[in-house]
Amino acid sequence: MARLEQTQVLEGHTDRVWNVAWSPKGDSIASCSGDKTVRIWQRHGTTDTWICAAILEETHHRSIRCSSWSPDGRYLATASFDATTAIWEVQGSTWEQVALLEGHESEVKGVAWSSSGSLLATCSRDKSVWIWESLPGNEYECVDVKQGHTQDVKMVCWHPKGEVLVSCSYDDSIKVWIDSDGEWECAQTLAGPGLGHSSTVWGIAFDTEGRQMVSCSDDQTLRVWACSFDNPGCGDNAIRLFESQAQEGHEKADGSLPSSTFCLAVTKQNAHSADVNCVRWSPSKPDLLASAGDDNTVRLWLYTPDPDTVCSR
Amino acid sequence: MENLINPSPVLHERKSTHRNKVRIVSSNESEREPIDTLEIFEHIRDITDPEHPYSLEQLNVVEEDLITVNDDSGHVKVQFTPTVQHCSMATLIGLCIRVKLLRSLPKRFKVDIYITPGAHSTEAAVNKQLNDKERVAAALENPNLLDMVNKCLIST
Repeated sequence: MARLEQTQVLEGHTDRVWNVAWSPKGDSIASCSGDKTVRIWQRHGTTDTWICAAILEETHHRSIRCSSWSPDGRYLATASFDATTAIWEVQGSTWEQVALLEGHESEVKGVAWSSSGSLLATCSRDKSVWIWESLPGNEYECVDVKQGHTQDVKMVCWHPKGEVLVSCSYDDSIKVWIDSDGEWECAQTLAGPGLGHSSTVWGIAFDTEGRQMVSCSDDQTLRVWACSFDNPGCGDNAIRLFESQAQEGHEKADGSLPSSTFCLAVTKQNAHSADVNCVRWSPSKPDLLASAGDDNTVRLWLYTPDPDTVCSR
Repeated sequence: MENLINPSPVLHERKSTHRNKVRIVSSNESEREPIDTLEIFEHIRDITDPEHPYSLEQLNVVEEDLITVNDDSGHVKVQFTPTVQHCSMATLIGLCIRVKLLRSLPKRFKVDIYITPGAHSTEAAVNKQLNDKERVAAALENPNLLDMVNKCLIST
């Protein structure tokens, strides 16, 4: 049997934890909360114990919904219900707020750095997606404002290899945005009966190579776009891990991936004592998972796959 | 208020209630009694309507029969019935019910709030909004809205 074992509970937040984000090297976790702070957690010395290394506070005056590390690990962007996005820079172990991005009319729900680190995307309750360019001297310039979603935009996510942006929304749709001669345009909308989700799309994630994308929704399904696997956090306090069944054929002649099936490898009931808001794999330790919950905690988990098979094949 | 959405609502008396099922008396004193529909109803019956000086019970917006509880799994479902089909206060009423239960119940409870099927012209939209916890959290950080909710809850 595959197993998911809790290795540590990180306590300190005084309100629900909305989100966790691993630093690119996997040596830090940023957790953001309804208590208006971000906590930075790091390994203590050479042990496997994580401690709170910094608290980022007094910038946002409402809930912090999401954070994103720049690819070089020097900056953290934080999105808040106060309609702003803050940029923090770390030097040694000291964090300093170096920029504040304003413009959204209401709550900022998501923020994400592109893989090159030159672009930043934010999305908001105001139905828009903004694309910002990072300039020298901690200057940020808004390069485009995209309307298109008809409701609250919940999350933005960049393709891991290129400048393709994906957004998902309360309007049940997912939109794919690309740069077309300096102007960003919606290349695709994933929505509608038989294709898209039937309720709010809360999250999206790519696999490492970016050939597969998965989305999760209030309609209680995961949809795999060109096939993938992911690890959803759930409103029933559980964490579920899915594995794709290994496909022997690899790529088909036309370059498309063989259709694959996914099976539930493990369900951890009561992973948190309240809703699980976010789950993220460590980028450096492939079996280490961090989760954030409404019980004000961040939890770390070690995943042990079944040595033989996880699914009855 | 100048333009009431429902100027003359039908009023109902505050009912006396009793438990339908006799609670099993536990031999173990420390064992807690499970939360039941009556207990949920007691929490929300006296919430004041946003536009009338009457309780949600008096306006038949909430009824014990439209509440379901599963204490073991920690699930509560409340259906409420706006007084008129186009009631623009429906979201606020639902929010008041949500906040009251959030403050009254142990944290392990998950609450779903729905409009009684067929009782509102934009039922699906109101239901979706009331059950989006991110939007509820954001709404409760809005001082004006929180103030309105608290006013409706003073009586409870």
